[in-house]
Amino acid sequence: MIRTKRSRYLIRKKLTARMIFPGSVLIIYFVLFLLAQDRAMFALKASYGVFLRILVPLAFVFILMFLMNLFIKPPQIAGLIGKESGVSGVLFSIGAGIVSTGPIFAWYPLLEELKKRGARESLIAIFLNNRAVKPVLIPVMVSYFGWVYVALLTALTILGSLACGSIISIAQRK
Amino acid sequence: MKIAISAEGPDPEATVSHRLGTSPYLIIVDSETMSFEAIPSEAGASGQHAGMHLVSLAIAKEVDAVLTGYCSPIAENYLSAKGIRVVTDVTGTVSDAVERYIHSESQSLKMTASSPPTSKALLRKDTLSASLKKSGSQFKGFLPILIGVVLLIGLLSTFVSKDVLSFIFTGDAPLDTLLGACFGSIFTGNPINSYVIGGEMLGYGISLFAVTALMISWVTVGIAQLPAEIMAFGSRFALIRNITSFVLSIIIAFITVIILNLLGVRL
Repeated sequence: MIRTKRSRYLIRKKLTARMIFPGSVLIIYFVLFLLAQDRAMFALKASYGVFLRILVPLAFVFILMFLMNLFIKPPQIAGLIGKESGVSGVLFSIGAGIVSTGPIFAWYPLLEELKKRGARESLIAIFLNNRAVKPVLIPVMVSYFGWVYVALLTALTILGSLACGSIISIAQRK
Repeated sequence: MKIAISAEGPDPEATVSHRLGTSPYLIIVDSETMSFEAIPSEAGASGQHAGMHLVSLAIAKEVDAVLTGYCSPIAENYLSAKGIRVVTDVTGTVSDAVERYIHSESQSLKMTASSPPTSKALLRKDTLSASLKKSGSQFKGFLPILIGVVLLIGLLSTFVSKDVLSFIFTGDAPLDTLLGACFGSIFTGNPINSYVIGGEMLGYGISLFAVTALMISWVTVGIAQLPAEIMAFGSRFALIRNITSFVLSIIIAFITVIILNLLGVRL
């Protein structure tokens, strides 16, 4: 891909911003090593324990992400939430929210466009709230909370998104 | 392969437009049949709206590449995120640009394959590698923050005692849940971080009410992205959705824990 100087600058800026948080934590570790090496080692060992715990679920996350990217394309998702029909529109919005990936704000322009083309606001709200349900991340969640909790929370989150969509719909009518 | 080119006119002999956002036409060429379709830019739209209209068009038409003179970094990010290749600094006529692009594509394919594979196999290999690349970049996107979170948990487990946590989360279910929902609304990012933080909080004896409210509000409520949401959908929609989601995160947390208790499930 041919990139302009400005786009290269913005990508560098984005990468730098992403590194601020982990970089700051590393600086704290560095200072801690200088001041209290034993406590720094203790903290590192605790982090290592957490890392080991999420390592296998993370591998599953990568595989699921790959399969999702292979079979589901963003234009298909955008097309689904544009559906205006009653129950099927709601079901499509739930499904689209669940399978959508990437940061939420990256979806705003597409959703804004769909809204202009007549997509109901309640469907957009249902889509946005269902982004809390992420099948690809379930292995990590299950490793901490177990299947029963994950299944229950997933079901309630979907029901919650419907409640949110209904409230938006009522507010729209007023 | 579908190629979209920003053009000054509606036919392949038109010159490539200098800028995608202000281009009067988007010409979509199918490289296999060499058929083309000229789509005029949205009448009356200007600036960013016109640009986003063309970006949406390119995505909706499922093109593989966009050729243009200049593409704004925002538009380029959207297109790249959808797996669409963006080629800038393109000049000359639309037909020349398409020919040059197809030629450069075939050259790069020849370099990676010793014997020419079938078009079906190429497509499959292409799709697999694009999906793998996208997954890799998504993974790389959240990994630095996740590593930061894991390292921070190590620090907190060393320096923040259970006394401090029990001072903040007193064990009073309604108050703890409210606090969890507030923390979740302030922090943002990939939900995986909220699972790790929530799971570790649970290990410190913080109630499942608070942890559940934190994990739900982490994604459904976004104070940090509220300005962007207001800009996209209007303040009425954004405020009602975020306030409703905040309240719902507390209600769902309560219902979840109550049902788990009724089922006799202990975490």
